Amino acid sequence: MARTIAPVDGAIASDAEPRRSSLHRIMVGTLIVALVVAIVVSLGVGAVGVPAGKLALTLLGRDSLTADQRIIIISIRLPRILAAALVGSALSVSGLLFQGLFRNPLADPYVIGSSGGAVLGASLGVFLIPSLSIAGFGATALLAFVGAVCSIVLVYALAHVNGRTHVVALLLAGFAVSTMLSYSSYFLEVLDHDFGIGLRVLAAWLHGTISQPTWGQLAIVSAMLVMGLAGSVPLARRLNTLSLGEEYATQLGIHLQHTRVAVIVIGSVLTAAAVALGGLISFVGLVVPHMMRMMLGPDHTRLLPATALAGAVFLLFADTVARTIIAPAELSVGVLTAFIGGPFFLYLLRKTKQELLL
Amino acid sequence: MTPLLEFAQTSFSYGDRLVLREINATISNGECIALLGPNGIGKTTLLRLAAGTLSPRAGEVRLQSQPLHRLKQRTIARSVALVPQDVDVSFAFSVEQFIEQGRTPYLRMFGGLQAADRTAIEEAMDHTDTRSLRSRVFNQLSGGERQRVKIALGLAQRPKLLLLDEPTQHLDIGRQFEMLDLIRSLSRKGIAILASMHDLTLIEGTFSSVWLLSPEEAMRKGTPEEILQPELLELAFKCPPGYRSALEDRIRGRRELVL
Repeated sequence: MARTIAPVDGAIASDAEPRRSSLHRIMVGTLIVALVVAIVVSLGVGAVGVPAGKLALTLLGRDSLTADQRIIIISIRLPRILAAALVGSALSVSGLLFQGLFRNPLADPYVIGSSGGAVLGASLGVFLIPSLSIAGFGATALLAFVGAVCSIVLVYALAHVNGRTHVVALLLAGFAVSTMLSYSSYFLEVLDHDFGIGLRVLAAWLHGTISQPTWGQLAIVSAMLVMGLAGSVPLARRLNTLSLGEEYATQLGIHLQHTRVAVIVIGSVLTAAAVALGGLISFVGLVVPHMMRMMLGPDHTRLLPATALAGAVFLLFADTVARTIIAPAELSVGVLTAFIGGPFFLYLLRKTKQELLL
Repeated sequence: MTPLLEFAQTSFSYGDRLVLREINATISNGECIALLGPNGIGKTTLLRLAAGTLSPRAGEVRLQSQPLHRLKQRTIARSVALVPQDVDVSFAFSVEQFIEQGRTPYLRMFGGLQAADRTAIEEAMDHTDTRSLRSRVFNQLSGGERQRVKIALGLAQRPKLLLLDEPTQHLDIGRQFEMLDLIRSLSRKGIAILASMHDLTLIEGTFSSVWLLSPEEAMRKGTPEEILQPELLELAFKCPPGYRSALEDRIRGRRELVL
């Protein structure tokens, strides 16, 4: 079909779309570079410093490290770095999905109750069966994962009436279940007989601490992240349509129920995977999607890759600071995410004039 | 000739509350119909039944003799576009991104917009004069702009039938006339239109037929002259006594504008 567009209109037409798409490509490229730089820098810093030159030579294939340095870098730091990147990515993508589903900027990965179940699970692990271990995961991680999944299933069942999942009911049930479960963990704390050691383990977990993972654990969590990301790709466009409201989404042929279930399943798998490696890390899942949205606009198909990368960079940076700032001791990474994420988020909020872009 | 859309003994109820009773009506290609009736009578419900987003409690709605319940919503959305009254967009989607959503029924699961989709979007913007708004944030548009952009999304679906829910509501008088111009121009392009309307002065000259939903009797169909009769409207809208002459004035559009 031949159509001529007047030159003036054509100029306007070509303006907005390529600008948005090139900004998006620049952002993704920058984030990939940032992630590589962050990994290399993070490998070199810590209680035992490794000179940057030696590290670079090693990465280029000319190994000049001592045996001790090699063990520290390959067996201790690298898994920890990968864990931080995976957890940051999983939490951020989960936050993006839930914000899109609930059409609510305050939604985060824990919005439908996973944190409450995770707290209770972790408490059970710490106080009752600390010796449990499967596939390298300890009792805290395993039971936190199981708890998160169970509480989401419970919340989903509560909000599911007559074949429909009610979104507001999901939010409210999530809040109620999460609060009940996390407070019920108090009863377990009373059982603590080992002079508060369990309580301190639990507190570190509650504030979010990236554990030192085995390669097997990393493989399992990576697989979950890859599946979650792949599943999110076709969902991203649906979330755009869903942003116009249910009436539009239904009319345009989006199956609301299937979309909701898919978002809940994928978001929950990502959150539970993150919880297993890092405990409850605040702010990442809330802030990173917002940062990306403020810079790239609300299109979920563009936000998805950018958010996955930015989450990895952000948490890797925070975890590197957390393990070096008071080395050889460590801070909980959740303290850092709150201190870095909070002010940066507020700065973006102030800077962005367009009705908060929420 | 088979009608484009057909209501066949269509009834609908919300729970126990019967809203529409045994509607029989057809829409032909290119027809331009105003849907009138008092608040709460079921005008929006009728439009949603036509768009396939609600299913009748009894009877059928047929699109080119195919019952809607046998068609996928994606298939329906390529022929019928519903422009809802109130839209609440979350996040700061631009006008262009908003209109792009009209291509949803044509997209594959993993695919993006193709050249044909871009053409449909550009044409929809041309028809509704919304090109200059493309980079604006939808939520920051004025009422009149918003209405045009919503219609652009509907046109991006490349529909044969456009369902408009109160297209002139909350618009100033100039924007109301602009909307009537737009409706007439779309109708000239051969798109059938069914629009729920409240303002009786805006019917004649634009719409070729009128459907009147009334609480007392079956839906009436006719030309504007046949339906816009004081007796019929008084009954349908349950006008309080003493307003007959005001109603007559309103119908003829002779009411002086009180500004």
